[in-house]
Amino acid sequence: MRDAVIVEAVRSPGGRYKRGGLANTRGEEIGIQVVRGLMARFPQLKPEDVDDLIVGCAFPEAEQGMNFGRVISLGAGLPISTCGMTINRFCSSGLQSIADATAKIRAGWSDVIIAGGCETMSHIPMGGSAFRPDPDWGNRPNTYVSMGITAENVAARYDISRDDQDKFGVESNRRAYEAIKSGKFKDEIIPIEAYRYVVKKGKRVREKVRFETDDGVRWPTTAEDLNKLRPPFKQGGSVTAGNASQMTDGAAFSLVTSAEKAKQLGLKPLAKLAYFAVAGCEPDEMGVGPAYAVPKVLGMAGLKTKDIDLFEFNEAFASQALYCVRKLGLEDRYWAGDVNPNGGAIALGHPLGATGAKLTAQVLHEAKRRGDKRCIVTMCIGGGMGAAGLFEMI
Amino acid sequence: MPFEIKKAAVLGAGVMGAAIAAHLTNAGIECVLLDIVPPELTDNDKKKGLTKDSPEWRNRFAAGGLANLLKAKPAGFYTKKNASMIRTGNFEDHLKWLAGADWVIEVVIENLKIKQDLFARVEKVISPNCIVTTNTSGIPIKDISANFGPKLKERFLGTHFFNPPRYMKLLEIIPGAETRRDVVDFMVGFCENVLGKGVVICKDVPNFIGNRIGVYDISNAINLMMKKGMRFEDLDAVIGKALGRPGSAVFGTLDLVGLDTGYHVMNNLYAAVPDDEMRELFKPSEFMAKMMEKKWLGNKTKQGFYKKSKDASGKKTKLVLDYNTFEYVPFKSPKFESVSAARRSDDIASSIRTVFNGKDAAAELAREYLCNNFIYAANRVPEICDTIVGIDNAMKWGYNHVLGPFETWDAVGLKESVQAMKKLKLKVPKKIDEMIKGGFESFYAKKKDGVYYYDFGKKNYVKLEENPRIILLPSLKEANRLIKSNLGASLIDTGDGVACLEFHTKMNAVDQDIINMISESCDIVERDFAGMIVGNHAQNFSVGANIFMVLVAVQKGDWDVLDKLISDFQNANMKMKYLSRPVVSAPAGMVLGGGCEMAIHAARVQACGETYMGLVEVGVGVIPAGGGTKELMVRMTEGIPDGAVAAGLNMQQFYAKVFENIGMAKVATSAAEAMELGYLRKTDGISLNRDQQLWDAKQAVLGLARFYRKPKPAMIPVMGENFRGMCDAMLFNMAHGNFISEHDAHIARKLAFILSGGDCAEGTFVTEQEILDLEREAFLSLIGEQKTQDRIMHMLSTGKPLRN
Repeated sequence: MRDAVIVEAVRSPGGRYKRGGLANTRGEEIGIQVVRGLMARFPQLKPEDVDDLIVGCAFPEAEQGMNFGRVISLGAGLPISTCGMTINRFCSSGLQSIADATAKIRAGWSDVIIAGGCETMSHIPMGGSAFRPDPDWGNRPNTYVSMGITAENVAARYDISRDDQDKFGVESNRRAYEAIKSGKFKDEIIPIEAYRYVVKKGKRVREKVRFETDDGVRWPTTAEDLNKLRPPFKQGGSVTAGNASQMTDGAAFSLVTSAEKAKQLGLKPLAKLAYFAVAGCEPDEMGVGPAYAVPKVLGMAGLKTKDIDLFEFNEAFASQALYCVRKLGLEDRYWAGDVNPNGGAIALGHPLGATGAKLTAQVLHEAKRRGDKRCIVTMCIGGGMGAAGLFEMI
Repeated sequence: MPFEIKKAAVLGAGVMGAAIAAHLTNAGIECVLLDIVPPELTDNDKKKGLTKDSPEWRNRFAAGGLANLLKAKPAGFYTKKNASMIRTGNFEDHLKWLAGADWVIEVVIENLKIKQDLFARVEKVISPNCIVTTNTSGIPIKDISANFGPKLKERFLGTHFFNPPRYMKLLEIIPGAETRRDVVDFMVGFCENVLGKGVVICKDVPNFIGNRIGVYDISNAINLMMKKGMRFEDLDAVIGKALGRPGSAVFGTLDLVGLDTGYHVMNNLYAAVPDDEMRELFKPSEFMAKMMEKKWLGNKTKQGFYKKSKDASGKKTKLVLDYNTFEYVPFKSPKFESVSAARRSDDIASSIRTVFNGKDAAAELAREYLCNNFIYAANRVPEICDTIVGIDNAMKWGYNHVLGPFETWDAVGLKESVQAMKKLKLKVPKKIDEMIKGGFESFYAKKKDGVYYYDFGKKNYVKLEENPRIILLPSLKEANRLIKSNLGASLIDTGDGVACLEFHTKMNAVDQDIINMISESCDIVERDFAGMIVGNHAQNFSVGANIFMVLVAVQKGDWDVLDKLISDFQNANMKMKYLSRPVVSAPAGMVLGGGCEMAIHAARVQACGETYMGLVEVGVGVIPAGGGTKELMVRMTEGIPDGAVAAGLNMQQFYAKVFENIGMAKVATSAAEAMELGYLRKTDGISLNRDQQLWDAKQAVLGLARFYRKPKPAMIPVMGENFRGMCDAMLFNMAHGNFISEHDAHIARKLAFILSGGDCAEGTFVTEQEILDLEREAFLSLIGEQKTQDRIMHMLSTGKPLRN
């Protein structure tokens, strides 16, 4: 079987929900600029070489509707011969698209695919703008359970204390703050020519702004600060805005090619997605997904956690991230900096469908810096699933 | 040139200034709110990079006043959205904004020089027609305006609001010697009709009326307390509800207002009235000075005369200060025979009489206290006010006394009081002796053509001027204008072809009598009248259905009776809605459950600003079934353009709002908020003046009647069973978050079924009757459940909702 490689993985900065740097910018515009930025890094790659564009999106409707993938590929200036598709597996969509691109190339059906995700949460509400659960499904409303409740369930069932969650929240922010300060994200970020609406001299105008840094990080923050926040999902609960991921706008894409094509064009591969797995779990504790998906992907590879140098666990909620890290025996390695070394979604945001591709960009660039061999990106998925991708650095 | 106030400017953004600005916005008036530029940049400011040019720093005081106002409790705004009508700035940069103001009111610190300096600058920028007032509570108007040009003096007067201005009815208007009559007349009308206040014209004397009589009232009480060796809680037990005073009585009120405020007002008055015969009493007593020193100022410092605490077991307890030992001791409610006896009285006059004529220590205190008050008030006419009416109104509207001093005097009896005064060796004022000699037995007298008051100057009764904007239903009834009546309600002819349906059950709870009267009134009005008002003078328009009656029917198993009751109520409301004459409801105070259902079936609502409206039925385990659920659905969806539903409009947010309002029993805290919640239409009217509300409603009836056509039957677009799916998912989350009980969820699912329109597809249009049938079905099913009956029982016995 021929191999597929990831030549590059990039992302937009994460913009805070409603008040951040991307809040006024349309979703496809963010996606388009990331794709253009990615293409610009490889002048030897002609646009017509790109066979397909896959975008992961958790709520593909409104401005993200009408086949978001095709909209982005056309908008990015790719020729009409380049196709586009939209896929959805909620929070793992961005990783799923890279996995699908990899599988398609390995099968020999394609040579060059741009794969990633894009989500503008400022514009499209969680649950979508027309939430319509099945009225006859009263016996299994679990399917539509709110993510906050699932996080509370994980905390209650597996004894993840409020203090531990808050401590985790603080650490996420601290790491993200340090990472930004030291310029670690510079390589992976495609700055966005964003726009915003302002009133100037009594007139409403659209104004351009260059947006280049994740703007959700809250630092300095202490556990005492976070301890004051109220749990909105459950009376007497422990999950708060301070220990949960932020709603964020953003996009991330990877350039996936066949090994031959990369060689032919003189593109230096960064890594390859060696294995990818999804695993199911109870919908009302969907946060435990990675605790199933990581062993599954390691099983495919015949590896153990100790063989993996670096992990990115999506921090949908501190309760579930911490549970999974503990369950997999990785807590010491978390504090040692092998897990989420640059902070996670609690500080940097969780743009749903883009997250998998965003974490891929983060993990590959960090692994490159550290000289790691293998790394894993994993996340929990609404509806009760986990996904994990095992990357091998090249 | 006629005056009109469209825009106002408030100078001074302290608690009072900001709250006045808020109330102006409640009346729909845009405001400028200015204050001084802060004295110095703080270190923190410098750290933030602020300079003396930064607007953020320069406007800080006014902006801060507005920010505090938004947090104030009780709220100064009818709705926080009103804040957008206030523009904040400072005296240095923005005085020029005053050029656009029709009214400038000064509410800065009580310092003559500062006020004079500010007005000197104001005078230069205002328009020639601008009315200028001060909210001073103590500084003479003539001193403030001493240096004004003659033109400004003509347009200058005192407008003294009482705190909090939204809620306190009293507004003292103090004309200066040179104030033009038309300016005073205009402001009286404006403050009454637009701001909804009760205006009392005052003379330019220290503390005007309210705070002159009020300070004496408190000083007198405290003095007697100490003389008789009583304690704080004793005094509060006597001079409380039994004498027609607020339940917080003397010291509870001082804790609420803040001792510092009371202390300063007393001191200022002492200095300002060297000739007052009771002056020595105004000197704050020793314990007050000591409390000031210790900063035990009341609720704002968490301790004053009283203090809330927790005992060893964590139970909340109330402590009271012992002014001898200066220690807080556990509060024990004092028992006085006369006060307990007064509690059994039918009305306030007999309650006061009972205490006054009692034999215990409380009665002794009350006798002396009231006699002193009477004498002091009588001695102040004409010094502070020409009539007894002004003094009575000031104390009722500014101090929440049920009766003013002269009305209280009438309650006790003129002869009886003079006997008591003589026994106490008090000096009976000459004018009272003259009055008795003249054969007058009371200060007020009701005659055929109206109410008369005794005028000390004329030594005779003078007819109380009637305000044509005030419709008094009892007077109309006495004038044989009652059309039809039963135990629960009456239909009254207010003249001009407009009838008024008045409820008069206990708390105006809806019962079969009210329901029958609605229906009968509709028939009469249809035949003989141009239209109908539904309104009354009670504190609360209606608190909802008579749940006791409902519970009795349930316990007897009278399902048919219940079914008929609900049908009758629905039919009566629908009859009102589709009457070919306009019906205008005039809700005020609490308008809950069935009360709300009646109010919103009118063609138009003319609500009092202070209307607390909501469909709160879930609190007693049922859903609104008198047409309230249906009507809220109508009101929420009636603005949807034709064709939008067929084209696929997502009505999720419309119905989510109905579901939340009813499911969470949301009660609006003002008429404006009732509009935001969707109970009222944005085109409905709001009257700030409760006294004039029925008159306003009548004008609305007359206006509508000219071209009235009854509404077309509503077709309600619903979301069908998709809505139920949404609600199920939401309820699942709320139940798992412990926000709702199983029974809450059960009731909510019944509600969701009604709102969904029954078994139908999204985008179906249903008739009102279909929804009414669903309401009735859900009500009868819920009322049969034990947990709902438990809720009703709990509400009846405790007055609070049960969450089971």
